[in-house]
Amino acid sequence: MPTTTTSAASSSSSTASASGNNSNRQADVFSRLASSDPEVKLKALREVKNQIIGNRTKKLSFLKLGAVPAIASALADADDSEKCNNILVQSAAALGSFACGFEAGVQAVLDAGVFPRLLRLLTNPDEKVVDAGARSLRMIFQSNQAPKYDFLQEKNMEFLFSLLNSENENVSGLGASIIAHACGTSVEQRVLCEAGVLEKLVILLDGSLSQREACLESLATVLKNNPEAVSDFVGLESGRHLNSVTELTKDRYPRTRLLSCLCLVVIYNTSPSYFVNMGTKSGLITTLLELLNDPGQSGDDAALGLSCLIAGKEDLQKLAYEANAIKNIVDILKTDSELQTKRLQGLFLSLAELCSKLEDCRCSFVSLQVLDLLINALRHKDADVKAAACICLRNASRSVKNLSAGRFNSDHVMLPLVQLLHDPSSSVQVAVLGALSNIVLDFSSPKSSFIEFGGIKQLIELSKSMDPDARCSALRALRNLMFLADNKRKELFISDVNAQGFACLISDPEPPVQEQALALLRNLVDGCISSIEFVFDEDGLILDTVGRQLRKGPQAHMAIQGMYVLTNVASGTELHKEAVMQQLFPQATGSENFMLKFLQSDESQLRSATVWTIINLISPSSPGAYDRHVKLRSAGIIPQLKNMVNDACLDVKIRIKTVLGQSMSFGDNY
Amino acid sequence: MPVRVVESNTPAQVSGTDPGNRSQLPPSSLLGAGQAFSGTQNVSNQQKEEAWRVNVQIQGIDLEHGYLCGTMEALNVPMADTPVITFWEGEIVDGKNYTFYTGKWEATREDDMRHWSKFPSFSPLQGQVESDGGRQLDLNNYPYIFMRWKEQYFVNVGTDCGLTIAGFYYVCFSCSDGSISGFYYDPNSSPFQKLELKTVNEGRSGFSFSSYELQ
Repeated sequence: MPTTTTSAASSSSSTASASGNNSNRQADVFSRLASSDPEVKLKALREVKNQIIGNRTKKLSFLKLGAVPAIASALADADDSEKCNNILVQSAAALGSFACGFEAGVQAVLDAGVFPRLLRLLTNPDEKVVDAGARSLRMIFQSNQAPKYDFLQEKNMEFLFSLLNSENENVSGLGASIIAHACGTSVEQRVLCEAGVLEKLVILLDGSLSQREACLESLATVLKNNPEAVSDFVGLESGRHLNSVTELTKDRYPRTRLLSCLCLVVIYNTSPSYFVNMGTKSGLITTLLELLNDPGQSGDDAALGLSCLIAGKEDLQKLAYEANAIKNIVDILKTDSELQTKRLQGLFLSLAELCSKLEDCRCSFVSLQVLDLLINALRHKDADVKAAACICLRNASRSVKNLSAGRFNSDHVMLPLVQLLHDPSSSVQVAVLGALSNIVLDFSSPKSSFIEFGGIKQLIELSKSMDPDARCSALRALRNLMFLADNKRKELFISDVNAQGFACLISDPEPPVQEQALALLRNLVDGCISSIEFVFDEDGLILDTVGRQLRKGPQAHMAIQGMYVLTNVASGTELHKEAVMQQLFPQATGSENFMLKFLQSDESQLRSATVWTIINLISPSSPGAYDRHVKLRSAGIIPQLKNMVNDACLDVKIRIKTVLGQSMSFGDNY
Repeated sequence: MPVRVVESNTPAQVSGTDPGNRSQLPPSSLLGAGQAFSGTQNVSNQQKEEAWRVNVQIQGIDLEHGYLCGTMEALNVPMADTPVITFWEGEIVDGKNYTFYTGKWEATREDDMRHWSKFPSFSPLQGQVESDGGRQLDLNNYPYIFMRWKEQYFVNVGTDCGLTIAGFYYVCFSCSDGSISGFYYDPNSSPFQKLELKTVNEGRSGFSFSSYELQ
């Protein structure tokens, strides 16, 4: 039935002309939707549908007026007779349009309770009704709000397969869509594979464009992180279908190229052994890089897809770098200022992965002026974009060469980062702390922008956060800031944190926090010998706390830092060495000496750190060395070292040899 | 460390590595980030005897890639008003990332062998290196670490300071006491300028260690 020209015109008119005329027309449409005259109802349905297609503003406007329940009623009231078929088609189409890419629309459709009615349309004798129902349901299943589909129920599986077996491409596509968006667990993946879903899906690979795309999406979901499923898929017809998917990466449609790439990314991440051919890996990267330029959703998804592919894989990062990935991404970022947030996030995450391990990539950041792009992104309104930019900065600043050259130590870089420490989003805070903890490592250049912006006080505040990750990250940043720091810089920290406060950090309930606090302390007591005095403040509270923590039998990583604190203190004066001995051999008897335990640890670094403490305690230049040696020998520590002369770790072996050499000079037999 | 230029010619070589199937070298406590060394570089030539005091600091080390870097400070340099600081990057000879053969920086294999053989700790390895490049060597258990250090840029002076950093050092590090010896190689400079460094303890009675952790 033809639509009127007035309704067609109003769908393209600007919403600014919201005169009484417009709202009258809308109210009028509602009364016509409820009409008992099917012709009037049909016309009203068409009118709404034509206005909302591709028009988010109109969707929202009609939604607020209650259009969805009204249309749902129209659908529910229509019987299955032939003359109602047009109403079924138009109302299904309108509901599908509301749900298309519009979460509030999906919510409204589901709230209206019309979902079961839409499902029943799939068994209607009229093909057009089936089509409309299938398309509408596909829109709903694109959303995370789609009803949970229980694949484990037999009747649901039967229904799913009846969809996949359908000749109607919208219906089979719906089946694939349901799988793509509802299959979440490995149990569901297994059940689907055992029911033969892979064999059904691969038929769709040779189908229409829409079927191919639905198939690729659902394959990715069924295969993700499931090596058995991947093996089943590759095994089908001796790899023919894997080849087909690979061929589709060269398809003329960008969305097909993207979806086939994403499918291959899933397969690669699950079972990389199927990709021994370097050419396939290179081709995949090149295709994703090309797709980055696609203006639509494919470009957005390609950016995230690329970051997923190269994450943690140095060989692929190298291939991408050699394919000019950095320059391509930077060109996009520089030329297009209107990028969607999802694409920006994906591009920054891809850059982050590129420079996660490769020094060449990090260095090219400097020459391509990427830093400026990242600094701008730190001011973006979207939290995901800010977090991605911080992650990128964090990875780029893993370059000791660039840190040493002071590339990040400028007001321009530091100020927005320090400001982000107050960002309301916790993911941004975590990300910015990660970036800052690297960037503050300026190898003690005289000027630190971070300190000038009051960074130390902020980190001290964050070290008291309720969130243990934030505490840990803040302490790590402080630790790095105090690496090779001069007394002036250390004083800035110590003056704001008293011994009591620091003792609390060392005794934090979380071991990673304890570890970072001890590592920070280790750096504080390194350097000028006078800086050791900090551990003696308030009657030696800090040193006592270190000793107490070590006696508790801590995890290796924490113990390593604790032993290096003792090592550093023991490299000081006689008084310092004696204070360390008091921690190793406290007055209270009965406690097993923790050094013996540490010397027998599987962690070579812990064995090494413990031996260093001993080396410093019996360093021949100090007067009390002999007496300390006697005590260490009678506590069984020197004999333990004699048992370790063939330690598996070369460094430990060498240090033990040093101790035993010193021991011999005290008259001990080797 | 920057040196004066002396005329000579050597052919260019293509850089190459021979990965093999090796693992990275184990860490050595005294060759770690934050470790400082102090000593001299002998810059004598036919005209006169001269030595510069040198301080070296390791800033980063990545055993997986056989990489390390740091700064070198040369004091009492005649043509400079202040100490001259350079930033250098090193290659660790681990048989995985780098071998004893330089393959670049105008150093031929003969140059390589001439320099490595000046380190007493290299002599047990020499035969195997000469015969098959040292493929069979177990460097993981050897108490010396061999490296090449190449200065990349001046940190605190301009390139017009009249000094050059065109060459590189062949370096030998002793794991047991942290002492370092090296020979500077630059076809245009006096040959075999010797670098000798020891660990620095900053007035302490023993060894002290700082650390950082990159996220």
